[in-house]
Amino acid sequence: MGLGMQSSLRPGAVIGVAVYVAVLFVLVPWAIAASGRTDLYYTLTSVALLSIASAGVWLTFFIGRINIGQGAFSLAGGYVSAILVARAGLSFWLALPLAGLFCAAVSVLVGLPILRLRGVYFAMVTLVLTEVARLLALALPITNGAKGMVSLPLPGGVKLLGVTLIPDFATLATPNRAFYFLSVALMSLCFAAMYRLVHSRIGRLCRSLQQNEELASSIGVNIASLRVLAYSISSFFGGVGGAIFVAVSQSIYPSSFTVNDSVNFMLNCFLGGLGYVFGPMLGTLVLYFGWDLLFQTGRFQLLIFSSILIALMLALPNGLLSLRPFGWRRG
Amino acid sequence: MAANATPDRRSMEQVIANGLYLGAQYALVALGLTLIFALMNVLNFAHGQMYVLGGFITYWVYGRLGLPFVVALAASAVTLAAVGAAVEVLLFRTVIRRSVREESTMLLAAGIAYFLDAVILLLFGEKQRGVPKIVMGVFDWDNLIMPYDRILVGGLAVVFIVAFMLFMQYSRPGRAMRALAQDRVAAQLMGVQVDRYSMIGFALGALLAGVVGGLLAAITGVNSGIGGPISIKAFLMVMIGGAGVVGGAIAGGFVLGMLESVGLTVLHSYGDITYLVIFAGLMVFLSIRPQGLMGKPWG
Amino acid sequence: MYGRSGLLRMAALGAIAALVAGAFGGPAAAENPTLKIGFVGVTSGPAAAWGTSNVRSMQTRAAWLNEKGGVTIGDKTYKIEIVTFDDQKDPKRAIAGMEKMAQEGIHYVVGPNVDDGAAAVRPVAEKAGIIYFPYAFPKTLYTKPASNAILGMVASYQSGPAIYKYLRDHKGVKTIAFVAGNESDPLSQRDSGVAAAKALGMKVLADKDTYETDTRDFTPVLTPIVKLKPDLLVLSGVAPANAPLLIRSARELGYKGLISTETAQDAQVLKEGAGDLADGFISVGGASTPEIRSATMDEFIARYTKMFGEYNDESNTKVYALEYILDTLKANPAAIDNVEEFKKTIDTFSAPNPFVKGNSTLHYVGMTSFGQKRQVAVPMVVNEYRGGKFVTLFVGSVD
Repeated sequence: MGLGMQSSLRPGAVIGVAVYVAVLFVLVPWAIAASGRTDLYYTLTSVALLSIASAGVWLTFFIGRINIGQGAFSLAGGYVSAILVARAGLSFWLALPLAGLFCAAVSVLVGLPILRLRGVYFAMVTLVLTEVARLLALALPITNGAKGMVSLPLPGGVKLLGVTLIPDFATLATPNRAFYFLSVALMSLCFAAMYRLVHSRIGRLCRSLQQNEELASSIGVNIASLRVLAYSISSFFGGVGGAIFVAVSQSIYPSSFTVNDSVNFMLNCFLGGLGYVFGPMLGTLVLYFGWDLLFQTGRFQLLIFSSILIALMLALPNGLLSLRPFGWRRG
Repeated sequence: MAANATPDRRSMEQVIANGLYLGAQYALVALGLTLIFALMNVLNFAHGQMYVLGGFITYWVYGRLGLPFVVALAASAVTLAAVGAAVEVLLFRTVIRRSVREESTMLLAAGIAYFLDAVILLLFGEKQRGVPKIVMGVFDWDNLIMPYDRILVGGLAVVFIVAFMLFMQYSRPGRAMRALAQDRVAAQLMGVQVDRYSMIGFALGALLAGVVGGLLAAITGVNSGIGGPISIKAFLMVMIGGAGVVGGAIAGGFVLGMLESVGLTVLHSYGDITYLVIFAGLMVFLSIRPQGLMGKPWG
Repeated sequence: MYGRSGLLRMAALGAIAALVAGAFGGPAAAENPTLKIGFVGVTSGPAAAWGTSNVRSMQTRAAWLNEKGGVTIGDKTYKIEIVTFDDQKDPKRAIAGMEKMAQEGIHYVVGPNVDDGAAAVRPVAEKAGIIYFPYAFPKTLYTKPASNAILGMVASYQSGPAIYKYLRDHKGVKTIAFVAGNESDPLSQRDSGVAAAKALGMKVLADKDTYETDTRDFTPVLTPIVKLKPDLLVLSGVAPANAPLLIRSARELGYKGLISTETAQDAQVLKEGAGDLADGFISVGGASTPEIRSATMDEFIARYTKMFGEYNDESNTKVYALEYILDTLKANPAAIDNVEEFKKTIDTFSAPNPFVKGNSTLHYVGMTSFGQKRQVAVPMVVNEYRGGKFVTLFVGSVD
């Protein structure tokens, strides 16, 4: 299987990272300012957050599991951060990692039994998991059930020794731009971490899992813990993505993340390419933006969107990145 | 409410009849899905949309044009078989051949599901549709109430299930498809034309979806938005029974039908959490027994 | 293969470039004075009917007004353009839709159709200065400090008590059972319904029965409830697609009591899905019945039918939002790009209601429920379905 970019830091890779950073943190904000299209901040924030969650799904693909349950963890992460912020009065900046950790912990408990399953079996159990999460959110008293949690505060500021590290979002003229920077920065961190992981010893072991679990176990790899580790990282990503979404919309309902989201996270990975670390990022961008751009076509939006999707699949069944647009080689 | 928490005998018979009726239609939905899965390892996300399309064709032919219900059902079957064959030949075949990981077909299936959703919405509109009752009257006997049209549709579903099983068991294409499902490579070596029978299998799976859609249009009507939920429900049945096994799909359909019917009555006094209990139970069941009731381990 | 993949690669890069260009390009400026009114709601998927009836009402009315030369607000005459966004019933998409509306310079938006979407778009609407007309009932949207949302219909907690009281006093209803979809909106509506019924001294026989909203066969859900033999069965927040199925299952199980809901329904859907079994079903509409509606409303229905092939009775309520927006703007032209002006006008605004016979007026209400006027006054027409049509049971009002 291909694994994206080569692991050694070639000059090309350094340039690539520099271009990536320049585009996301300088060029895009500049272009938005120049064109006045401030609505793109939210669109791109969405893409970044959804691609963080999709990255988690990609990681489960990497250990050979089809994960249609990421929506459950995004929902859980969203609720944990909402509850911590609204009920416990915690700072969002503490609630955010806690939401991710909570999801990781839950995924260990859930993962131990279900990660033994493979193929469509794992896929189906995780699909059911998404529905269970929604129903739990409706039934548990702490989530406020069907009425959802609304009017949540924006993330507050962080000061260290009198120096403002992060400004209070409520005081900003364009909190959307702040959310954009936050989401894009987190997305970069997540993908960098994932890239490191994939190219580490653990990553190579995971790759062997993807190909042959029996063989991997026979050479003494502790498969169970490896799978649980990957799954908990995956769920951490889902939780973090969900938590920021809740901060943006300042509200959460049991229907904030549904089976549709779980399916979309998976499709993002397919579209970008399962063999490429950056597949989910590109896949999310194209799927989300594609839909958004077709907004002008009114009632034909879904028809055109799905036709393009099918055509893409026919032309590039292994994902967009199988074109190797930037000369990336398959591992 | 508490006084009624324990269902008496009367309602139990009703509950079982409801479950059997529900099970028969569920089984028929699951059959088509499991057939396609067994033959090609494709999880057809568009199965529910095919069901909806079948429903709308029956709605038009029977409800609007006023032709006999049987004709409408046949029209649904033929159209969906054609759609299924076309989808396999034009789309799945190419993608399966060229993709590195076979799960890639999931994206294609989802694309087709969206496409059919869009086409159905544009052609047939957003409203819930229904047709005149095919048989009037209600069977009311002592402990049990069941409208005649439900009995008829349930009976027809059973007839179709039996016909399908006989076809798979004794006909030449049926045998070829079973060989294909068991071992694709071996079947190929034995001279089974894989392409041809993949197409026939896909067409047959889609046909089944269309037939159920048409049948149920007579009872629950049809609505352009229900394709996705139907697919997911069908996945559940297939998993309960065991993926890719014909007997499993039938068992899964009946089990889910019973589970809903009995569960909703028994858990009535707990109200809101009924579905939570059903789904959580399902997760536990699948974790313990991933091959379902009668599937092969690991599909 | 080099040539093929090279070609594909160029095509893909070209497509991405086009995507980027398209994203930043933005819409071309219109030459004639055009007033854009937005819609953000659901027009695909299982709940498509809700948003579709909104969009089509707006498009029908806009086309009609434009045909007559446009709408004169202040000293300018505008063509009305309806900008629609399908949020797929996903609150995350709804935010994107509202951002899009802000980007298009739109200040008045109809929608979203459900609770979670309406709550999610609130920060955007308040930041961007947009007044929006949700079809969602949570009170937090309309009570202070919220001030940008205006409820576009009669809420279940307003119509419910009126209906139950009427049925208690006129039809001797004493016992009541509720069944609701397992989703935020229906569950919230059920809870408010239960509270209202208890306040009226009715005996609530079932208040916890739920169904998954994608259920197609409601017989198992209704079997235990029908057995309780309530005088009234309330289908809380029922989607128009599910209403006939629930009614049919209940009747076929031998249920003899009354059935009602607090949401708007469509007569044709009931007729096809339940036929005579739906006779006596009670629902709520705006200008639903021939006794109530004016010649203008009749023409609206005719135009709608001509444009889209078939009318939807949900539009009897949904025809109002656009009318309220335009008439309020006429009353205070300064509000055209300033929602603060609009809010000032809300308190005193009054205009003749073109869709209903008699001296009915368009004005804003909501003091009792929200403590401020953040609801359109739609005549609360409680109707009964009979023989394929709605007939008026009684007409109430909200203050």
